[in-house]
Amino acid sequence: MLIPHPLLGLRDAQEFSYLGDATLIDRPAAPAPDAAAPAGAPSGAPPDDEPGPPGATDLAAVEAAFCDYVFLRDNPAGVHRELWYHEQGDRSWLVVTRDTVTHEILGAELARDVALARRAGDGAPAMPGQGPDREGQA
Amino acid sequence: MTRYSGGLIDRSREITFRFDGRSYRGHPGDTLASALLANGVRLMGRSFKYHRPRGVLSAGSEEPNALVELREGARQEPNTRATMAELYDGLVARSQNRVGSLSFDALAVNDLLAPVFAAGFYYKTFMWPRTFWEKLYEPMIRRAAGLGSLSGLPDPDAYDRGYLHCDLLVIGGGAAGLAAALTAGRSGARVILADEDFRLGGRLLAESDPLDDAPAADWVARTEAELRTMPNVRILPRTTVFGVYDHGIYGAVERVADHLPVPDDRVRQTLWRITARRSVLAAGATERHIPFADNDRPGIMLAGAMRAYANRWAASPGIARDAPVAIFTNNDDGHRTARDLIARGARVAGVIDTRPKAAQTTAYEVFAGGLVTGTRGRLGLRSIRVVHDGRERWIDCAALGVSGGWNPVVHLASHHRGRPVWDQDIQSFVPGQGGPQGLVPAGACAGRGSTAAALADGARAAQSALTEIGIGSAAPDLPRAEDAPVRQAAFWHVAGKGRAWVDFQNDVTVKDIALAHKENMRPVEHLKRWTTLGMATDQGKTSNVTALAVMAELTGRTIPETGTTIFRPPYTGVSLSVLGGGATGPDFRPTRLTPTHAWARAQGAVFTEVGQWMRAQYFPRAGETHWRHSVDREARAVRSDVGLCDVTTLGKIDVQGRDAGLFLDRIYANTIATLKVGRVRYGLMLREDGFLYDDGTCARLAEDRYVVTTTTANAGLVYRNMEFARQCLWPDLDVQLISTTDAWAQIAVAGPKSRALLERIVDGADLSNDAFPFMACRELTVCGGLRARLFRISFSGELAYEIAVPARYGHALMQRLVEQGADLGVTPYGTEALAVLRIEKGHAAGAELNGQTTAAMIGLGRMVSRKKDAIGAIMSRREGLAADTRRLIGLQPVTPGQSVSAGAHLFARGAPQDTAHDQGWITSACHSPHLGHSIGLGFLEQGHTRMDEVIVAANPVAGETVELRVVSAQFIDPEGGRLRD
Amino acid sequence: MTDLASHTAFGAAQPRDRTIGALALTERPDIALASLTLRAGSRAPAPFGLDLPGPGGLAEGEGVAAFWSAPGQWMIEAPGRAESDFAAEVVRAVGDTGGTDVSVTEQTDGFVAFDIVSRHGPAPLDALLERLVNLDPALWGPGRATRTVLHHMSVFVLRRDASRVTIWGIRSAAGSLWHALDAALTRQNVGGYP
Repeated sequence: MLIPHPLLGLRDAQEFSYLGDATLIDRPAAPAPDAAAPAGAPSGAPPDDEPGPPGATDLAAVEAAFCDYVFLRDNPAGVHRELWYHEQGDRSWLVVTRDTVTHEILGAELARDVALARRAGDGAPAMPGQGPDREGQA
Repeated sequence: MTRYSGGLIDRSREITFRFDGRSYRGHPGDTLASALLANGVRLMGRSFKYHRPRGVLSAGSEEPNALVELREGARQEPNTRATMAELYDGLVARSQNRVGSLSFDALAVNDLLAPVFAAGFYYKTFMWPRTFWEKLYEPMIRRAAGLGSLSGLPDPDAYDRGYLHCDLLVIGGGAAGLAAALTAGRSGARVILADEDFRLGGRLLAESDPLDDAPAADWVARTEAELRTMPNVRILPRTTVFGVYDHGIYGAVERVADHLPVPDDRVRQTLWRITARRSVLAAGATERHIPFADNDRPGIMLAGAMRAYANRWAASPGIARDAPVAIFTNNDDGHRTARDLIARGARVAGVIDTRPKAAQTTAYEVFAGGLVTGTRGRLGLRSIRVVHDGRERWIDCAALGVSGGWNPVVHLASHHRGRPVWDQDIQSFVPGQGGPQGLVPAGACAGRGSTAAALADGARAAQSALTEIGIGSAAPDLPRAEDAPVRQAAFWHVAGKGRAWVDFQNDVTVKDIALAHKENMRPVEHLKRWTTLGMATDQGKTSNVTALAVMAELTGRTIPETGTTIFRPPYTGVSLSVLGGGATGPDFRPTRLTPTHAWARAQGAVFTEVGQWMRAQYFPRAGETHWRHSVDREARAVRSDVGLCDVTTLGKIDVQGRDAGLFLDRIYANTIATLKVGRVRYGLMLREDGFLYDDGTCARLAEDRYVVTTTTANAGLVYRNMEFARQCLWPDLDVQLISTTDAWAQIAVAGPKSRALLERIVDGADLSNDAFPFMACRELTVCGGLRARLFRISFSGELAYEIAVPARYGHALMQRLVEQGADLGVTPYGTEALAVLRIEKGHAAGAELNGQTTAAMIGLGRMVSRKKDAIGAIMSRREGLAADTRRLIGLQPVTPGQSVSAGAHLFARGAPQDTAHDQGWITSACHSPHLGHSIGLGFLEQGHTRMDEVIVAANPVAGETVELRVVSAQFIDPEGGRLRD
Repeated sequence: MTDLASHTAFGAAQPRDRTIGALALTERPDIALASLTLRAGSRAPAPFGLDLPGPGGLAEGEGVAAFWSAPGQWMIEAPGRAESDFAAEVVRAVGDTGGTDVSVTEQTDGFVAFDIVSRHGPAPLDALLERLVNLDPALWGPGRATRTVLHHMSVFVLRRDASRVTIWGIRSAAGSLWHALDAALTRQNVGGYP
C-alpha cells in the first residue's frame, strides 16, 4: 500500500506500523481521584487545567469509559479511520481514512492536527464523518 | 534433428545439453523444450497421479506437462518448465516423478488402477484409521504422486531486491505491449516494459504474418532498438510481473542469471517492487485444448504452440521433419498452423474441424464436422481416430495440434477483486470492472487478439492511461498487420468413452468433473478442491475455463451462471529464495553492536543475541572450563570489588520542553514531575489496560530536560508509545522527544569499590556520598575534559553507577576503567552475571514484566500514583487486576543441592498438581555464587504473607518436583544499606 | 582535551572507505550532528545562517547543513566538528539569531554517516539506490533528504547533488549497513546492473 503522508507525499506502507482504530485518540478524561471538588470541569480544557475531579459514581463511569476505550473497537467493512505510525520516516502518527474492503485511501492527516482540532472543537469522537477535522467543517 | 530452416535461433553456434543422461545439441535462442523437440524427443515427463507419459503441451509459461529437474547438486531446481528454460551450454535436466526410467516408469501401474484413483479418492479412502494418515498414507501418496524433488542442500546463489518507480508499467512485450511502450516512451513518460520471455515480441515471434510486408521480428527489433535509446524507458526481459498489490505496487521477478550455467558473481534473481502510477496489461492469451479420449499422449500439443515451435524455433513437432501432422480445431486458428507447417515443409495429414461448415482447401484435407475420438501410441502419438461423416477411421500422425480457441490471460486483472466477465462473442472470459486500479488491459488479454487490433489497442491503452495522469501522448505509426476476425465457437470436449484429460498436470478428466457433479461438488471452488483441478505449478492455466465449461454443460447452465475463475498472485511460481530478496544469514536482520564490542571480542567474550543486539554474555578466563565458573567469578567480583558492564543497549530517550515533567507524569505510573534536578527516579510504565510493560530510570538533567531509560527489548516500543502520547493524547503539551540510545556509550560500574574507581577518572567532581548520593545524576567531564553523564543507580544492589560518554569514546573509557581499576580487582561482567546479580537483589526484569503482571504483583503497587492521571492508572485499579494477590517472592531449595527451575509451577505441599490448585510459577532462577545455592524468583498466591513456608515446585516437562522455601525476593541486603553507603 | 582515543562505529581508529567501479563509499566520522526541535509557539530560527527547509528538504550552507527530520524538527550537520560539543554550538547559534525557544540534542554519536560519490554522474548512484531504498528518484533528487528503511534499518538518505548521497544510519548497526552497501556496490560492479 501507499500511504499519502500529508507532508511527505506517497510513502510505501513498509515504512509504517499500524495501530488501529483512530478512536484511540479519544482517551477518556480521567479524574484525579483524591481531589474533593465537585465534578464538572469544562471539557476540552488545556493541559494545565486538570480535568475536574468526580464523585464515586463518576469513578465507575470513568472506569467503564476506559473499558470501552481500551477493549471495544468497531471493525467496519468499509470506511475506517485508523492510526498509522511513520516509524521508518518522520515518526508522525497519521489518521488514515481507508476503505477496508477496497483498501482505497480517502485521506490522511497528522494525528496531532486531528487531536488538536478535536480539543478546540466540540469534543466529538474520532468516528468517520463526525470529527471536526472532516469535510463537514466547512 | 528435426529442424526446419530459418527461425530465431543462432545457428552459428551450437550448444550441448543433457536430458536424462543423454547428450543433445541445440542453439542459442532455444528453450529446453524447443531443443528437445528439434532432437525428436517427444516424451518429457510423467503425469502427477497416473504416471502417464507426457510431452510438451505449450510453448510458454502455462506449461502443465514438461516439468523437469534443472541443474544438479545444490542448484537442482524441481518443476522447471522446459518451455521457459533458456538453453545454455552444459544444461543438465532430468525428467521427474518416475520410478525407473522415463520410458519405463514402475509407478505407471497407477494408471491401471485409475478407477480407484478417481476424483475425491483421497478424501474417501484415507479417512481411517486416523493415525494412519501421518505415518502411512501421506508419505505413500507423496512418494507416488508428485512433482520434482529438492536437492536438500542450501541454495548457493545470491538473491537481491530492488525498488522501481515509473509512470507506466507495461506488462508483456508482445504486439500490444510494444505499441504501448513505444507510445509512452515517445511521450517522455517513465516507462518500464517487463516480459517473462528472454526475447521481446511475444506472439509476433511465433507467427509468420508480416508487419508492413516484412517479417514481424524486424519491426520488433526496430522498436526495441528505439526503446533502448530512450533514457526514460527501462526494458526488463526475463521478468515476470507476478502480482498486483494495493495502490499501484507490482511484484516482479527478474531471472538475472537463470540462463547461465552458474551465476558467477551475479545475483541469480531479483525481486522488484515496482510502484507504477499506471500500468498496461498486455499479457496476451493462452490457447485452450479440447479434451477427447486419450488426448494426453506425447506429440499432442496446442496448435499455436506447434506453430511457435515451427516458426520461432524451426523445430518440427514430429519425430522427423516430414512426419505427418494432424490438426484438431474448432476455429480458424488451427488452419493457420496447418498453413505454416506446410510452408515449412511438413506433411499435414488432415485438419479435423468440429465446424460442419469449415472451409475446404486444396492445401490439405479438411474433415469438416469431424471429431478426434481416440489415439494410439504408448510413449508417443502414432495415430488418431477420426469420426467424420458417420465414419470412423485411424489416421497415422506423429503429432497432433489442438486448438479450442484462446483464453485472454486475465490473471493480473483479477488480482484485486477483479471479476472477469464472459464475452459471448469470443466465448472467453475478459477482464471485467473492479480490477486493480490504474491497470488497463490491452490486446489479446482484453479479447482483442488480431495483430492489428493488439497493436492499436496497446497504443490506445497507453494513451488513455497517460491521459489520466496528465501526460500527453500521440499514437505512433503502427505497421500494417493481419486483422483476421477472432471467431471462437463453443466446443468444449468430445463426448465418449475413455479418459479425456482436462487438467494435464493434476490428471483430472471429464469423467472426474462428471463425478464431482454427481457428488454435488458443483460450485467451481468445490470442483477445484474435490478434483484438485487447477492446482499445482500451472494453476489451471490450460484447464480452468474448459473445466468450467464442462461443468456448465453438466448442470445445464451457462458458463457465467456456473461461475468464473479468478486468479491470485503469483502468476507463475516464485521461489522462496527470491521472495526473501536475499535476506538470509547475516542479511536476515541487522545486527547491532555495542561501543565496547571490539574490546570485548579482544577479551575473548562470549556473545549472546538480545533482540538485534550482540551483548557480551561472559568473559571466560584461562582455566575456566564451564560458563558457570566465569559467571560466578564475575558476580562475586561485583559483590566484593567492582565490575564493569556495557549497558548501552538500554533505550535512552531525551525528553525536553516546558511540560516535560507533566508529560512524564502521564507516561509513568509514579510521579516524576516532583523529581529534583540532578536526581534519578525508578519508574514504572503501564499499558493502558493497567498491566506493567516496562521499567527503568528517569533522570532530570535540567528544569526542562529529562533522560528516560527503557529496557533493551522495549526501547522502540516505549519511544513509539511516547510519540503516540505526545501527538495523539496530549498534543497541547510542550514536549520534544528524540532517541539517543546509540549516542551514548553507557557502562555500569558496580561494586563496593566503584566509587574509588570512578574517582580516578572524573575531572575533580566530588563523588562522596553527601555530594553525590544514591539516585543522584549530573553532567561532568572525565579523563581530561570528555563530556559525560554520571548516574548513581544500581541493578545489582551494590554501590553502583552508570557512566555515559559519547559512543566513540566507549571503547577507550572501558579500557581506561580496566587499567585504572587493576588494583581494585576490576572485572568486566556480561549479561549472565548481570542477571545473577539482579535475581539475588530481587529486581524484576523481562521474565517478571511479561505483559501479564501488575505493579502490585512485583510489590510496587504503591508506586502507582492515585493523585494523577497516567496511562494505565485507571485500568490498573479495576477489580480483576486489583484482586490479583500473587506476589513476587524468593525461593530456595529445602534440600541443599537441588535446583530451582524457571517455568515450574507452584503448589501447596500435598495439594493436587493441577490447574485448579496452581498457586503461581517461577519466573527466574540461577545459581547464586553469593549464597552458594540455587535461588529463584516467582509469583506466589499471597506470597508476601507466606515467608518460610515450604511449597512444591512442579516441572512436569522435566518430570521434576522440588520442595522450596519461600523467602524474601531480596536475597542480598534487603535493607538497601549497600546502595546508599 | 581528553586523552581518551575515539573509535569509529566499527571500533577502528580510522574511517573505512572503499571504491568499486564508479562509486566511492566513505565513512564520515568527522560530521557533527545535532537535532533541533521547535518548542510550542516558537518560530523557526536560522542557526549558522541556514534557512531551515520544509518537509523532505535539505539546506546546505558554509560548512554546515540542515535537513528536515520531523514536523518542527531538523538535523543540523557540520563536517569536521564531530569532536566539538556541537549541540552546545547549535544552542549558541540559535541564541545568536534571536533566541527562539528550541530543544537541541547531541546526535553525532547516535549515527554513522557514509558518503557515496559517483565519478560517472548520477546513473551508477541511481542504480545503487534502487537496490537499497524504496524512494522515487524523481521525488527524492538533489536537495532532498528523507528518513526511510534500508534492509530493515532506519536511515536518512541525503541526496546532496546528482552524484553524491550521504546515508546516515544508526551507529550500532554500522556493520550491517556497511555490509548492505558494500554488497550492493560489489554486485553492481559485476555488470549485472545497468
